[in-house]
Amino acid sequence: MSQGLQISKSALLTAEQLSWCTDGNLILDDISFSIEQGSFTGILGPNGAGKSSLLRCLYRFVKPDQGVVSFEQDDIWQLNANDYAKNVAVVLQETPSHFNLTVHDVVALGLIPHKGIFARANNSDDEKIAQAIEQVGLSHKEQQNFEHLSGGEKQRALIARAIVQSPRLLIMDEPTSHLDVRYQIQIMELAKSLGITVIASFHDLNLASAMCDNLLVLKQGELVCQGTPKAVLTKEMLSDVFGVCAHISEHHQHKVPHISYYYGYIHNEHGERHV
Amino acid sequence: MFNTDVSKNGSSAPNKLANQKQNKPIKNTQGAWLEKQHISQSLVTLIVVFICFISLFCGLSFGAADISFADVWHSILPNEEAQDVGFIQRIIWELRMPRAILAFLAGSGLAVSGLILQTVTRNPLADPYLFGISSGASLGVVILISLTGGIFTVMTPIAAFAGSLVAMLMLMLIAGRRQSQQVESMLLAGVALSFLFSSFTSLLLYHTDPQAVTAVLFWTMGSFSRAQWENLLFPTIVITACIILMLAYRRHLNAMLLGDESATTLGIKVNRFRLIMLLLSSLITATLVSMCGGIGFVGLMIPHIVRFFVSQGTVFGILLTALIGGIFMVWVDILSRTVLENQELPVGVITAASGSIFFLTLLYFRKNRPS
Repeated sequence: MSQGLQISKSALLTAEQLSWCTDGNLILDDISFSIEQGSFTGILGPNGAGKSSLLRCLYRFVKPDQGVVSFEQDDIWQLNANDYAKNVAVVLQETPSHFNLTVHDVVALGLIPHKGIFARANNSDDEKIAQAIEQVGLSHKEQQNFEHLSGGEKQRALIARAIVQSPRLLIMDEPTSHLDVRYQIQIMELAKSLGITVIASFHDLNLASAMCDNLLVLKQGELVCQGTPKAVLTKEMLSDVFGVCAHISEHHQHKVPHISYYYGYIHNEHGERHV
Repeated sequence: MFNTDVSKNGSSAPNKLANQKQNKPIKNTQGAWLEKQHISQSLVTLIVVFICFISLFCGLSFGAADISFADVWHSILPNEEAQDVGFIQRIIWELRMPRAILAFLAGSGLAVSGLILQTVTRNPLADPYLFGISSGASLGVVILISLTGGIFTVMTPIAAFAGSLVAMLMLMLIAGRRQSQQVESMLLAGVALSFLFSSFTSLLLYHTDPQAVTAVLFWTMGSFSRAQWENLLFPTIVITACIILMLAYRRHLNAMLLGDESATTLGIKVNRFRLIMLLLSSLITATLVSMCGGIGFVGLMIPHIVRFFVSQGTVFGILLTALIGGIFMVWVDILSRTVLENQELPVGVITAASGSIFFLTLLYFRKNRPS
């Protein structure tokens, strides 16, 4: 309750007592948190915990039944959709398209919030697009069909779109699902290199631990804990929220928590785990 | 320990550097390439516009009364020495010119409205007729015939337009209500409405005289024979306005292709935008159906053909769709007037036949093209 009052001035985005239900199921249950400017926040939780729904509330796709999301103290639903898009860019999980848009066309979509409908793209826009494409390393594929890119390349193109959107907050909904390890790391490092505030949901807890300053853990629509990776990624949390047993050590590169899972769940008869 | 870290880390760092180094020269060639592409686009547009004029010229020349190109030229740019052109001039100016223009408008209008619908529903099979607009128009015509007993009057296009407007409004009411899954409800409602109107049409036709049935049948197959100068203004305005709006909203249309959610995050009010676009394409279709009857397959086919060669998201792609649609229809009209002597083939028969063959050929080549 008092969380709303504790919002610091540097918070870019805050959620206060967010609740959302659909078809009578409570998907998000009284969630409050705030995101500091320049931070990298990871949202964790098992399947169906409400990660995507929470993100949808943050990028205005879903209007919560209760509670307020505010961007710099302004309720996001009071803001103009276009103004919000100037500040917040979103990279979703794979977005299918059966039409032949080129990579350039897709990246150019990032201009939409900044351009009036009759405005033409000028030279500086073209440069911005070319730079963004270069930044994600897709220059050689600029004129290729977006549909023919690999999963990792598609995500990179969408990040380039977000770069063109020049937001202050980047939201990513499981941007690394079904990508190879190398691309998982690459996508996340790319996001981090932009130097803006990022909120992303993660499947890979070790990747989240390595990338994030701040973690939010969801379980059945409730925010069960938040804090630094060191504070959040504990044996107890993993067993409580994810139902796994694990050993937490220190990653020898960054000293962040590193999780090693124990195996052998299927063999126990009484729901007891062999640890 | 530390050393191995660095080497691990280093494996990606030089990679990045290498990428950056590679990208520098690429960027220059990229710029040149873009410029080259720009020039080639202008060139293609010029060529297509040229073909456009040639086609219209042919449209004026070919027909029941064969008129030589020279005579056509003299009639368009009249000079004193040619005296005999009076009769020819009348054929060209009063019959063939409005007809060719209407054919061009119909082709480009249907192609563009097909492109709009395919984009906002993200369904490559969407077609202006899929949403019950033409069956609404047919119903309007049949109601008029059964009420007045007359076959075709001045009222026919008005009845057709009213019928398609009713169909369009019903579709908008159904699709506008649903906030989620708007696309699905639009497509399903379109198909359902289409069948509903067709059943009413059949019911009414069952009780009218056979002559009226034949007339209605011919009408639904499409024809440009009712083209007149004074009727051309309205479709011209509607189609030009729609194309301009579409060019203005080309980025929004592209954004829709990547899904509703993605479009929302770019600040687009997706459901409202889709309804506006549906309204535009319905308006084009209703206008054309009321003047030319049902001409199927163009709205489905032309955007596909153009998309096969160029990215649809650009100004170039949209203009090309409109131009190619127009050219195609001018030639279809020429065929419909010349294939059989002293008789006119329904336009819809030719579009469907030639279109589907061309389409299948295209698919065949795409299948066999090395990717």
